[in-house]
Amino acid sequence: MPPTMTKCKPTRLLLALALFMTLCMSANAQGRGGRGGPPQPPPTPKAAAPMDLTGYWVAVVVEDWRYRMLPPAKFVETPLLGARVDIPMNTEARKIALAWDPAKDEAAGEQCKAYGAPNIMRIPGRVHITWQDDQTLKLETDAGTQTRLLEFGAAKNPGGGWQGASTAAWEVAGGGRGGPVLSGSLKIVTSKLKPGYLQKNGIPYSANATLTEFFDRVDEQGGASYLVVTSTVDDPVYLTEPYLTSTHFKKEADASGWKPSPCSSR
Amino acid sequence: MKIAKALTLLLGAVLSSNAFGQFNFGPTAAGSGIDVSGTWHYGGHQDAAYGTAAGALVDYGGIPLNEAGRLSALAWTASRMTLRQQQCAGYGIPYAYFSPGNYRFWEERDPYTQKLIAIHMWFQTSETRRTIWMDGRSHPPAYAAHTFPGFSTGEWRGNVLTITTTHLKRAWLRGNGTPSSDEATVIERLIRHGDRLTVFTTTIDPVFLDEPYTKTMINLRNIKDPDAWLYACEDGEEILSRSEDTIPHYLFGKNPFLRDFADRNGMPLLAALGGGETLHPGFAAKLTDSAAAEKEAMAKIVPSGPQQNSRAVNPDPNDGEIHVLKVQGNVYMLVGDGGNIAVEVGDQGALLVDAGAGKLSDKVVEAVRKLSRNPIQFIVNTSFHPDHTGGNAKIGAAGEDPSLPGSFFGGQAPTGATGFFEDPAHHATLIGHNNVLVRMEAAKLPNEMIPPDTYLEKRRKKYHNGELVEIFYQPNAITDGDSIVQFRRSDVIATGDIFDTTRYPFLDVKNGGTIQGEIDALNNILEKTGYEHDEDGGTMIIPGHGRLSDEYDLSEYRDMVTIIRDRVKAMADSGATLDQVLAGRVTADYDTRYGATSGPWTTNAFVEAVYNSLKQAGASSTNRK
Repeated sequence: MPPTMTKCKPTRLLLALALFMTLCMSANAQGRGGRGGPPQPPPTPKAAAPMDLTGYWVAVVVEDWRYRMLPPAKFVETPLLGARVDIPMNTEARKIALAWDPAKDEAAGEQCKAYGAPNIMRIPGRVHITWQDDQTLKLETDAGTQTRLLEFGAAKNPGGGWQGASTAAWEVAGGGRGGPVLSGSLKIVTSKLKPGYLQKNGIPYSANATLTEFFDRVDEQGGASYLVVTSTVDDPVYLTEPYLTSTHFKKEADASGWKPSPCSSR
Repeated sequence: MKIAKALTLLLGAVLSSNAFGQFNFGPTAAGSGIDVSGTWHYGGHQDAAYGTAAGALVDYGGIPLNEAGRLSALAWTASRMTLRQQQCAGYGIPYAYFSPGNYRFWEERDPYTQKLIAIHMWFQTSETRRTIWMDGRSHPPAYAAHTFPGFSTGEWRGNVLTITTTHLKRAWLRGNGTPSSDEATVIERLIRHGDRLTVFTTTIDPVFLDEPYTKTMINLRNIKDPDAWLYACEDGEEILSRSEDTIPHYLFGKNPFLRDFADRNGMPLLAALGGGETLHPGFAAKLTDSAAAEKEAMAKIVPSGPQQNSRAVNPDPNDGEIHVLKVQGNVYMLVGDGGNIAVEVGDQGALLVDAGAGKLSDKVVEAVRKLSRNPIQFIVNTSFHPDHTGGNAKIGAAGEDPSLPGSFFGGQAPTGATGFFEDPAHHATLIGHNNVLVRMEAAKLPNEMIPPDTYLEKRRKKYHNGELVEIFYQPNAITDGDSIVQFRRSDVIATGDIFDTTRYPFLDVKNGGTIQGEIDALNNILEKTGYEHDEDGGTMIIPGHGRLSDEYDLSEYRDMVTIIRDRVKAMADSGATLDQVLAGRVTADYDTRYGATSGPWTTNAFVEAVYNSLKQAGASSTNRK
């Protein structure tokens, strides 16, 4: 063995590494609980937010523009005449879409069937996000004047309405060992929905549908901020596979663009 | 051993307790955020109709096209795809994500430090190979070549991979002719949620867009690596016996499919024409006044705004320095002194194509000395224009042509009549078409600036520095003395001002330039070029001014010149005066890329040159359709 090399037994290496890790954990624990003080409660979802979603956001209507900006044509079986071929509907859903009649919805007072959680973020308009309390984000829309409550922890909302019951959780990157949270997403799972439409032209979702969303905030160098919403609708009643969409909003400085309007079935 | 085992278990427990997002090594330890490695495909539930080569004609809603972008799209016909250079054209970014095939990410890491060097991508459709550099390197200068995937750098911002891409080629935003220019910058953010990858892109294109075009799309991870990764393409003869200067397009206001999409979807035409306002929620309300919407739409299908200037970045740094760019093989491009200079080096003396404007000749000589241990032996002038010949005397004097001493010429010197040959060993030999000599002598320029070594007909060739160098005469293009120079082994062509990425062709009608000669010259060049893969690479082209280019870039320029010729001709044939042609803004879809309202070569001067050239030739004989 060359004189400059020292034989290092594996046991010594492991001992040193374990000691180091234990010290790190101890220091980290002290950071959270204080030096010998009582353990601190975990931060509230509001305090632990890895990003600020609050404020006014306006839809940038690009994705599926022709089905969102203007009333989509009634579903027909001939694709060239305006049918949605890209929503994975099953046969039963097709029957319902073919029979869609907005007048009937109006007569039944159900103009908001396309404003339920699975489609509300696709409606051109603005959303306003605030913290209702430390555990709940409130998301309001001016189009259709809808309100979604995104509850961290166990949902208190029994659901059954257009916006169903939503549970929220932060999915963060980083943040270990007392380090800074680098970024994260807001994951929202919504169920207990009142049956409605995935689109204004009567393509249905059922009460068994589940909506899973991820909200991500993107800040551009230079100022603009965007909210990117990635959505999946699972519906064993009307869909043959999960229906995937992504939608984006641009941050607005104030409420000057906020124009509440009622639901419209057309 | 028991202690070691116990400690191992303890260490394992400590590590595992920190395994899922709790152990923050920070973004720089491994140099990455989330791992996107693997194979993916477009999850096409939304925007499914916009996949590759799809998209209805005149369906631009939700795209913030400006006037130039809208008019360019309206002039496009699917028949353009029959052109050789369009058949295998690659896909730009972000359009490539719409490919119906799969794509793959894989990482390249330093084997010793494990730092992330690059993330590579391979798109099956169009076989696009893309590198996203993660090592902090800078983007190339503006005079470097462009490609369909462009030049990309990436960084992690939290768990988001943010990619910035420049040096893109002119391509599509949508497969219906909606254009994206070679001046576009694209920013992508890749956000991964399990097996779903949301790609959020911003396209910033000052040439064709009113405002940044933001868009999201979902991609799905493949469970199994797909077997098919190839998509070979080779262009062929799709339309037989078609004249080379036939470029399919629609004249302004004449698109026969203008209303197809709008009518089929029951929407006003104004909505289908796109523009920044169509992205905003309040747009639908504007359509309630159908008469006003129709009136506005009709105004948008023809040029209606003021003439625009180019919004392209000037590729010449204009910093008083000579910038050297390796092209390929033995050839370099020198930028900074007026026209571009091509330099071919090897065992023999350097051969230059053009000598620049002459303001920085000392620095040109210095730059060539760094490339070649031998002196400058030949300078080929592509034209007599001063931005290409201004440096002839000074650079020529710094060189020498060793083929002359002891030769017939050496024996003849000195003579009073040919003072240029008094000491032939100490001057590079200047070469050009004979009309260059004639024009320069007529301008009474000093002898040492004038090429004495001239040719008269189609071609001059010289085997030099290990390759055949061919000089081809291009009659009546920019002037009546234009040449292009082809380096056969290096596979590089220097075009002079026949191709200029910074402006409309500088047609010098007074000195023999013609629009038809220009179009013929561009087509002649395309007869000599080939691409390496899907219209990227292959034969590289050094333009008279502007950035390094290739076949596709030149073909887009050829298309532009030909289309403008057709528009001017159509108006002239119907009896329009020059003023009426100018008022018609026949270049409106190209002005934000090439136009100028002031300076030495304005848009109006170009249109006037085209008009006069056609008039001189007799409008009826210029179009060979």
